[in-house]
Amino acid sequence: MKIKAGWIMTLSVFLFLGLVFSAQAAPVAGVTDTEVVIGMSTPLSGPAALWGVTAQGAKAWADYVNDKGGVNGRKIKIILKDDGYNPARAMANLTEMKGQVFAVCALLGTAIANATKDFFADNKIPLITVYADVRIWEKYPKDKMKYIFVSYPDYENEAEYLATYAVQNLGAKKVALFYQNDDYGKMAMEGAKLGLSKLPGKPELAGAVPYEVTERALATHAQKLKETGADTLLLYPTMTHGALILKEMAKIEYRPKALTTFTLGDPIMYGLAGADVWEGVYPAAPAQSGVPGEPAADKVIEILKKYDPALAGKEYLALFGAVSMMHLVEGLKNAGKDLTPDSLVKGMEMIKNWKPEGIGSPVTYSPDRHHGVNGSRMMKAEKGMHVPVSDYTIYKPLF
Amino acid sequence: MDLIESYKEELRLVRRFWTGFWIISLLIALIFLPWYGKEHWVYILTLIFIFSIGVQGQNLLIGYTGQISFGQAGFLALGAFTFGHLARFGAPVLVSLLCAGLVAAVFGLLVGFPSLRLKGPYLAIATLGFGIAVYQVFVNSELLSGGRMGLTVQKLPALFGLSQVNTYYYFNLLLAALFTLASYNLISSFVGRAFIAIRDNDISAEAMGVNLTTYKLLAFAVSSFYTGIQGGLYALLLGYLEPNMFTFLETISLFVAVIVGGLASVEGSILGAAFVILVPHVFSDAKQLVPVVYGIAIILILIFEPLGLSGRWLKIRLYFRMWPFR
Repeated sequence: MKIKAGWIMTLSVFLFLGLVFSAQAAPVAGVTDTEVVIGMSTPLSGPAALWGVTAQGAKAWADYVNDKGGVNGRKIKIILKDDGYNPARAMANLTEMKGQVFAVCALLGTAIANATKDFFADNKIPLITVYADVRIWEKYPKDKMKYIFVSYPDYENEAEYLATYAVQNLGAKKVALFYQNDDYGKMAMEGAKLGLSKLPGKPELAGAVPYEVTERALATHAQKLKETGADTLLLYPTMTHGALILKEMAKIEYRPKALTTFTLGDPIMYGLAGADVWEGVYPAAPAQSGVPGEPAADKVIEILKKYDPALAGKEYLALFGAVSMMHLVEGLKNAGKDLTPDSLVKGMEMIKNWKPEGIGSPVTYSPDRHHGVNGSRMMKAEKGMHVPVSDYTIYKPLF
Repeated sequence: MDLIESYKEELRLVRRFWTGFWIISLLIALIFLPWYGKEHWVYILTLIFIFSIGVQGQNLLIGYTGQISFGQAGFLALGAFTFGHLARFGAPVLVSLLCAGLVAAVFGLLVGFPSLRLKGPYLAIATLGFGIAVYQVFVNSELLSGGRMGLTVQKLPALFGLSQVNTYYYFNLLLAALFTLASYNLISSFVGRAFIAIRDNDISAEAMGVNLTTYKLLAFAVSSFYTGIQGGLYALLLGYLEPNMFTFLETISLFVAVIVGGLASVEGSILGAAFVILVPHVFSDAKQLVPVVYGIAIILILIFEPLGLSGRWLKIRLYFRMWPFR
């Protein structure tokens, strides 16, 4: 008797809960006449927390756009969540956003992009810009790629560019590589080898020294690099390891020309490595964004700092993120008043030879091209700034 | 807590009507969750189910057998990549999953050998070395890790007219329930009692006829099997693997789940898994504060509730059982 009563009680409770929780779906998720909701999942904690500044920069730009009246009468509302650079947490964030957001902007991390990539086409939620190895998308089915727009340089193309630039423009005779011992670093190795193999005389890498992300003592690595006798060094580390290796090399009086990947393009490197070590280094810059010190970039940076004063000192990454938000805003503008995922896709595909606020190299999307711009240029660390020393080199878009 | 009058009663998993009532209610609530709950809660619970299997395994080793281990990330990676490679060769999901558990168990057995000689911090360091070694091997071997683009794993298709999220939910709910049942049965069997005897005093246990070599190695093998299964399920859920997903942070998460949930408690393992998944998610809006909230919550639980969440659960249960008397 007791058991029967228990069953009836339990079933009644769940029937009631079922009625309470049943909800009505909105016609287009995240869109009203006055508002469009954009989701962002980014590492604000964990090993890649520093890169989360990109999302804060994007949010500051959205706040600025809102103050200017929004897009087609709609204010942009940002839902920003921390994923700690963990793919499972990023997926949980996105699943939570489903039904609430209209689009997602500035996703960060190769593992995260790989683990969540199907989410966007499956749920018809556009993903506007993602910071991850672009080769993920190269072989991704075209129908699923419909909702994904990327403007990010290919690491291998960039390494090829660095190696070529070192020999042709800086007169490098022997080139060595310092790289992170993972897929990212190995891509750099392939790119550098490819670049050198295309040069007259086909010079070979004088040496390649890997390090582990968990390592902090890099004195032996510096010694090994010195033993290669290279006069030019390509660097594919994190910002911290880039600073550490250059400091260790300076200690043993080994100061070759150093060219780095664009992830070390933030002038914050002066603080990490020390002015005497960082001065004269050549960091690459991605074609889709700008660097502090350029008039167009500085104008945007001032706006960003006005809307989020905490971005002071993190201008490079903040600008990087703000440019992503500009891509989304441009797509929203082109999509018009009748906003649906498909109209945003069409709006994005209408972007042709467009420079966001005059920053970077022109971006083009089309139904056959969702890789907006794939390119690099060279900068030089001079007097606390990163000064561009070359024009953009644009590689073939990959998808 | 209960007055047990016979061995048969001791072996019963559910001894009171209300315990059974709440367990069945909880199961019904979980079975019908996709109907009344939001989709992201279904996903979060799927993660908790997956995690709870690994935490139960580690609790069998750390909580029940008293062997400290910091090699969890290594077993997770072994399970995940075994599953990933077999799935790529077209092996059925359940076969791949079983192999993921078995490969991790074999390595667990190997790592268990130092436990015959080492104790406490020395064993912790030996197992930590294993976790790091596995990570390094995967990072350095493109053949094992899937190369520069990582390892893409075929996801579960949507089955029985359910959505893919719900298919994953029910699949993992079923497995978590089976492993929970297995854990309860294991600890109330001779093997489980041997584990507990080793934890309480290994010399006495040996004097009582417990073969230390066999049971210590068995504890390592069983716990690694659970963790390997967790790795396999994780691979199946995410559909993508790369070695950087199995760093020391994963070991810490599993260890925290065991301690916060409560040592030597199956319910505690599930609560601990819920803790490490829910806290970062619930506070994901708090931006940079997530690690702070996480850390403070751990400190508070350990100060005010040394028995972990399962200890708090026991006290709450006792309070209601004794109510209105105290």
